[in-house]
Order: sequence, then C-alpha cells, then structure tokens
Amino acid sequence: MSPPSPSGFEHKVVVGIAELAVSNNPNVTLATYSLGSCLGIAIYDPVVKAGGLLHIMLPDSTVDSVKAAKHPAMFVDSGVPALFRATYQLRAEKHRMIISVAGGAQILDSGGFFNIGSRNYDALIGLLKDHGLRIDAQQVGGMVNRTMSLRLATGEVWLKTSGQSQEVILWKNSTLT
Amino acid sequence: MEELDTYINKVKTLPPAPRILPELLSLLGQDDTDSSRIVQLISFDPAITACVLRVCNSAYFAGALPADDLQEAITRLGFQQVYQLVAAVSGARLLIPAQKGYGINPGELWQHSVTAAVAAQLIAKSKGEDDSVVFTATLLHDIGKIVLAEALEHIYVKLIEENRSQQAALIETEKRVLGVQHAEIGGHLLARWNFPPSLVNAVWFHHDPGAAKEDRKIAAYVYLGNMIAYFMGFGYGHNAFALRGRADALDILDLKPEAVPDFMIQAFDNLQMVETLVKLNP
Repeated sequence: MSPPSPSGFEHKVVVGIAELAVSNNPNVTLATYSLGSCLGIAIYDPVVKAGGLLHIMLPDSTVDSVKAAKHPAMFVDSGVPALFRATYQLRAEKHRMIISVAGGAQILDSGGFFNIGSRNYDALIGLLKDHGLRIDAQQVGGMVNRTMSLRLATGEVWLKTSGQSQEVILWKNSTLT
Repeated sequence: MEELDTYINKVKTLPPAPRILPELLSLLGQDDTDSSRIVQLISFDPAITACVLRVCNSAYFAGALPADDLQEAITRLGFQQVYQLVAAVSGARLLIPAQKGYGINPGELWQHSVTAAVAAQLIAKSKGEDDSVVFTATLLHDIGKIVLAEALEHIYVKLIEENRSQQAALIETEKRVLGVQHAEIGGHLLARWNFPPSLVNAVWFHHDPGAAKEDRKIAAYVYLGNMIAYFMGFGYGHNAFALRGRADALDILDLKPEAVPDFMIQAFDNLQMVETLVKLNP
C-alpha cells in the first residue's frame, strides 16, 4: 500500500487545535486529531515536496482580533493565509498546491443556529475562490469526527473517521505511483 | 420509571455511587458553611483527599506554597475550586473506563465530559450562576451511557446504521431500539444516588433543555457545554454529532447564536485546565 519508507527517522508531528505546521522533510507526517466542527486543511506542492497542515476552529477572526493576532491558526481568514505563507518559506508555490480538506461536522440543526461546521467550510470556499484556488480532495460535514494526516514524502493525505478502525486515503498523486 | 430501574439493576458492573458529592453540593448551597465540615466530609474518602491534594499542588494550580492538607487547600483555592476537584476525581472514577457499546476508547468519555463541564461552567459564570451544580451536572451528563453500554454492545452496529439512515439523534434511536435513552437513565441513576433534583433534571433533559421546566437553565448550560465539547473535537463514538440543535437553549439563557464561537474561544483558553483534570488518576 504505502511506498517503501525513505531512509531516516520517520516521525509524526501533531498539529493541535488552532495550530499549523509546515515541513519539507520527507520523514515527517503532519497529523491533526479529532476535528469535530473544526476544519483540517492540508496543502502540498508536489514539485518541491513541501506542505503544511492547519487545524482551524472558527470561520471569522473579526469576532476576536486580539486572539487572531496571537493564534492566527484559530480562524479560516487568518489561518489559511498564514499556512500558505509558511510554505512559501519552503519554496512552495501557490498555484502548484494540492488542497485537501476534512472535518466541519454538523449536528442535526435545521434552524442553522449551531452551524459552525458549515460556516467554517463556506468561509474556506469563499477565501480560496478569491485567490483562484480550489479544493482537490475533501470529506466534510456529516455527523462524524475525523482525524487527518499529511505525509510529506508523497503528499498523501490520510483520513480516519471516528468509530472506524481503518485509515483511508483522501488524496494521493496517481501519476507518481 | 420501572423500565429505567430494570435497566440499571441489570448492569453487572455498576460503579459505586460518588457518595460525598451530593452532600458537598448541599453544604456549598448553604450560606454559613463551616469549612471544617467540608474537610471532614471529603476526608471520609482518603483516595479522593490524596488525589485532590496532588492536583492542588500540580503545575496548573500550585502557588508559592504547597498545600499539605485539605484545610490549606481550601484556604488557598477556595471552596468552589476544591469542590470542583473533588467532583472531577469522583467523575474520573466513573467515566475513565472504556464503554464498548458506544465505540468509546478508554479516556474518551472522560475527556469529553471534562471539556463539556469546563465550557458549561464558563457560560454559567458569565451569567453569574451557581457554577458548582452546572459543573457537576455537565461532568455527569453522559453517566447513563455507562449503564446502556452493556446493553448496546451487541446491537450497536444496528443503532449506528439507524442513526445514519434516519438522520436521527442518538437518544431518539436509543429510545426506539431499547425503549430507554441514556439521558433519562442517567438522570434516574443520579436521583438514586441522592443528587439534588435540579441536577437530576438537568441531566435528564440535557438534549432538550426546554422540557426541564424550572430547571431549564441548568439543562441549557449542560446542553451548550456538551455541544461545544463536540464542536472542538472532544467527542467520541461513531456518530458523535447525532444531536439536535435546540435554539431554545440559547433563548433560555438569553444568548445569541454568536455567543457560541465566543464560548468556544473561552474554552480554548481553558484547555490547560481541561488537560489537568483529564490527567487525574484516581
């Protein structure tokens, strides 16, 4: 299934809630656990094999600008630009980026009073559209909790859904295999 | 009621009642509480006492001077804080074990319960309400699941499938498949354990706070705390989000929907507190 491990010490970097991490180390897997209504956003540039993972909690930083300055990765509108900028330091380029998204779970709420999950997703779509970007792979919404990881060696994005024992692949570069 | 008793009596490994909590709650509710009575009551349980002192002296709570005994801990942290620790240690005993029937891994139900309780307490505090009852009710809101988990072990797959296909809330599917649901079982169990009626009702109606009548406020705090924990990823099980949106939970507390993100941010700011309580090892 997965390709032979590259030589060196494989390790997992955990991205907490309202955090982001980037890397171009092929031994690294970035992982973020239990997204709930939060969104996990993974970006990857297959040319320079660099990417990052972001775990945002809320759509809009205007609710708390002080918090946004301290924790930009808490909000879609401040976190996504911060994620892209951090990967540019690793020579990644915006228009080569593969974008994968997971999370945004929703309770049964026809009135839409508690729709944080879908508002997170809508905010992301709007922001990406403004920059001429689109999502390559996604699994969002529904009633489930998800865990997501990005393998820097291949750009593969893996997903685990609460209650399921198996991880499934959300994105992989079929031209590389 | 009889049906609830039948279920509770069937459980082979029901945990012991957290005996000192209801008594402590009633002491805290009195105006002229004597701290020596509180110390005496907590001291009945040496394991809880030791654990409370350990947490009290942990990195999160420790001041300049360590507390050597409960009296000192109360002087330093105050009744409310010491009560919260006693509640947390008692809750940990009940909720840390894995509950097979709900697809819950060890510690997951506990982590969810602590996060929900801290979030609910923040909301109650913002409204100037008695946060000890709210904290305890939210901490124990899913206690009914430890009763139902055993009954569900073999039919859980069916339950999940029904949830998905019917787009129903978990308690609705439980009621249809088992004839009882975890919120009413939990409420009934807590009544048997002599918790105050307001706390019992809050747990009983934590998925439908409007139905809790005079206790609807406490039920609404529990409801919102529970939801915030799920939103922030401190949930568990297969269809973690199979709960209904109840706009009246906001109305009851005179809150706008925009308050939810605010309380999520406040809960985020208190994650170190959550972590300290999650790591309790009674």
